Amino acid sequence: MTRLSVPVARHRLHNGLRVVLSEDRSVPVVCTNLWYGVGSRNEPAGKTGFAHLFEHMMFQGSAHVPKNRHFELVERAGGTLNATTWFDRTNYFQTLPSHHLELALWLESDRMGWMLPAMDQEKLDNQRNVVKNEKRQRYDNQPYGDWDERLQALVFPAAHPYHHTVIGSMEDLDAATLDDVASFFRTYYVPNNAVLTLAGDFDSGRALDLVEAYFGEIPPGAPIPPVPWETEVEPVIGETVRDRVISDVPLPRVIMGLRIPPYSQAEFTVAEVTRAVLGSGRASRLYRRLVREEKVAKDVVSYAFPLMSGASMLLVWITGYADSRVDDLESALGGELEALADVEPDEVERAVALTETDLVRALERVGDRADLLSMFDLYFDDPGRLNREVERLRSVRVDDVRRFAVSHLGGDNRAVVSYVPEGGS
Amino acid sequence: MTSLDRGREPTPGPIRPFDFPKVDRREIDGLDLRVARISQLPMVAVNVFVRAGEWALEENVAGLAVLTGDALEGGTRRRSGTELAESLERLGARLHVSTGWEGTSVSLSCLADRLTDGLAILAETVLSPAFPDDEVRRAREQALAGIRQAAMDPASVASHEASRRIFAAGVPYARPVEGTLESVGSLHRRHLEGLAEALYGPRAGGLVVVGDVTYDEIEAMVLDHFGSWSGGPSTRREAVVEPRSRERGIFVVDRPGSVQSELRVGHVGIEKSHPDELPAVVLNTLLGGAFTSRLNLNLRERHGFTYGVRSRFSLRGEAGPFSVSTSVATDATGPAIREILTELEGIVSGGPTAAEVEAARDYIAGVFPLRLETAGQVAGRITELLVYDLEDDYHDRYRDRVRGVSVAAVAEAAQRHIRPEEAQIVVVGDAEAVVAELEALSVGPVEIVGQD
Repeated sequence: MTRLSVPVARHRLHNGLRVVLSEDRSVPVVCTNLWYGVGSRNEPAGKTGFAHLFEHMMFQGSAHVPKNRHFELVERAGGTLNATTWFDRTNYFQTLPSHHLELALWLESDRMGWMLPAMDQEKLDNQRNVVKNEKRQRYDNQPYGDWDERLQALVFPAAHPYHHTVIGSMEDLDAATLDDVASFFRTYYVPNNAVLTLAGDFDSGRALDLVEAYFGEIPPGAPIPPVPWETEVEPVIGETVRDRVISDVPLPRVIMGLRIPPYSQAEFTVAEVTRAVLGSGRASRLYRRLVREEKVAKDVVSYAFPLMSGASMLLVWITGYADSRVDDLESALGGELEALADVEPDEVERAVALTETDLVRALERVGDRADLLSMFDLYFDDPGRLNREVERLRSVRVDDVRRFAVSHLGGDNRAVVSYVPEGGS
Repeated sequence: MTSLDRGREPTPGPIRPFDFPKVDRREIDGLDLRVARISQLPMVAVNVFVRAGEWALEENVAGLAVLTGDALEGGTRRRSGTELAESLERLGARLHVSTGWEGTSVSLSCLADRLTDGLAILAETVLSPAFPDDEVRRAREQALAGIRQAAMDPASVASHEASRRIFAAGVPYARPVEGTLESVGSLHRRHLEGLAEALYGPRAGGLVVVGDVTYDEIEAMVLDHFGSWSGGPSTRREAVVEPRSRERGIFVVDRPGSVQSELRVGHVGIEKSHPDELPAVVLNTLLGGAFTSRLNLNLRERHGFTYGVRSRFSLRGEAGPFSVSTSVATDATGPAIREILTELEGIVSGGPTAAEVEAARDYIAGVFPLRLETAGQVAGRITELLVYDLEDDYHDRYRDRVRGVSVAAVAEAAQRHIRPEEAQIVVVGDAEAVVAELEALSVGPVEIVGQD
């Protein structure tokens, strides 16, 4: 078993900002990674997609940084930067040659403390267009592009925060105003709702002084309001619900969503290992049985989403060949899910071994290291959890997976979105 | 601490040096072995590169090299495909095959203490593939299904159509690297066996190992597992890269109901070994390679036409395409093409500013170490030396050479290698909604073309 020893030191500023430092001087590279505890789950009805639109606005400048200057300075320093919005959080990350650490802190703190003076209608309209084009490019103009919207609506009830997608709807994006930007900023983009991780090449004492200098004077906000949805749900869906789509797609595809325990519960680890037994690697159940042996599927994809609010989702999709029938694909996939109740120890062992290597491989990158530390701090108040990840995975026994297959992989816990090619069978 | 002046950007601290990891290189019985030690984490990455690329193939068997690489997972003379996968995954190891124009890389990634077993399986996979009938059939059906999927993905359709418009018929780059329904559909086990027999040898290829390992331990393992390996190609196929046309034209692939138009604007570019490589890389960075490039600031940040736009010189063994790629709202199709051509014309006629060149050089030199964090990334860079036959110290000198690119050199590169008047413009979108607008642009004839 690999013993991980990623350095982890925690601090908290007076304004509530949590700081995680992970010093590693081997390569002259540093990453700043900032997680805000806000995502699409915080969007009320009529404002879907706003958390993501807001993320774009964070790159439009702040009181001391004109539009485009943030990108110019980081690129010119030889750095990269980006951000992502998801259900439970939004993250901002910059990786730079380490002598530019202070630049990254200046930029990141300026938009945490002084974003609003730089906002105007023209910037909002511009980024609204960019985001609408992002939605068109990644969803509306793609075969199968509406799968997640359809699947989430089946896996989670209408009152649940994961019922709607992160990208949101065009109508809601159109309705967003500068007032929305201001109130979202004041409510959620406050130091007491954020974790800042620095990973890589720096001196911890000096770095902490800089963080204090740049972020310390930003006033805290009010306590974060609760998620405006009902997060409590039944542990399983209760039936098989289906949505069949006849559409302009190249090949039949069946996408299955299963409700699983949230990332906040210990049983999520079992779901994670079960997912790996099903779909990680080419000796995994689904690849071996459906792709290699039965040849009913061209490919299989699976993922266990680490979501925090009440429940999470295990996703499996299989793409058939041109002459496949979606009913056959669904029953083949369903059969394999149920057959996992007799999983063998060797399969669990392989799945864990692959997951372990994948984790160590991710830790080679300062950006991934920082992102995991921020996540563990924000979600679990415990960034040191990173060094116990291998033990956590290794704690799963074959009986746990068997039990989980019975409790969560049966016909009473399936949302199925099937795509049938137009003019096909 | 004293209070900060937030109105001024901070001054950088003292720069710390970064050196490309030291590479030990030796030839062992005709095998070019390159080993680099990086030891932050107990990982190791291995690449076997064989010069079995699509460039070398005739059109009627296009896709054979890709298919042969993909079918390696079908098993060896000693193990079935499932047994092979189980052996690897018991080690927590991943094996990945990727095939391009120049050749095939078979990559192994595993924890360092499992390398001995991993390397044995890697060697077995490459040296004694069995290509069982049903596994070959499956790989072929998967490849054909993948081609059908690509034919409905607007970005793939646009890129394929652009290649077909940019390169003269008969130039391999005119076709998709993965082949066509017709060529792949005609491939059988004997073709795969023939290709592996002829081209899967160490000559003109090599083996790269990077990670928490030493050269001496690697050499012993390599002798054990690759000691008997021989053969491979003796010459590289010669073919002249010609453009299909030097007249600008717009080609519309009709995709009714599209809410966006996928755009490509391109022409023949340069090869990796071209003396203007680095000026062209700097040029492209400021034109369309970085977020703050001219194209992206114009189309995205000023006009909101798109989620993003990029330009690229595809630097290959021979002259690959230069191409601008983006996807824009349908009603922005004409204006976006107009802006792209304006930017291309502007960089040719006016050249870059000194500030742009400096920023681009700093960006390229600065991000270089950021992309060398992992064993896999370092192995990939070292493999490039094999693929393109570059000098051993190419990466050691890279950043200094980038910093030495002058404003004049970039301006000359723009004049030589950006030719907006020869651009082949591809639009994948709703023809009914965009054709009148495209005609009105008056930048060249507009033709609606069928998809292959």
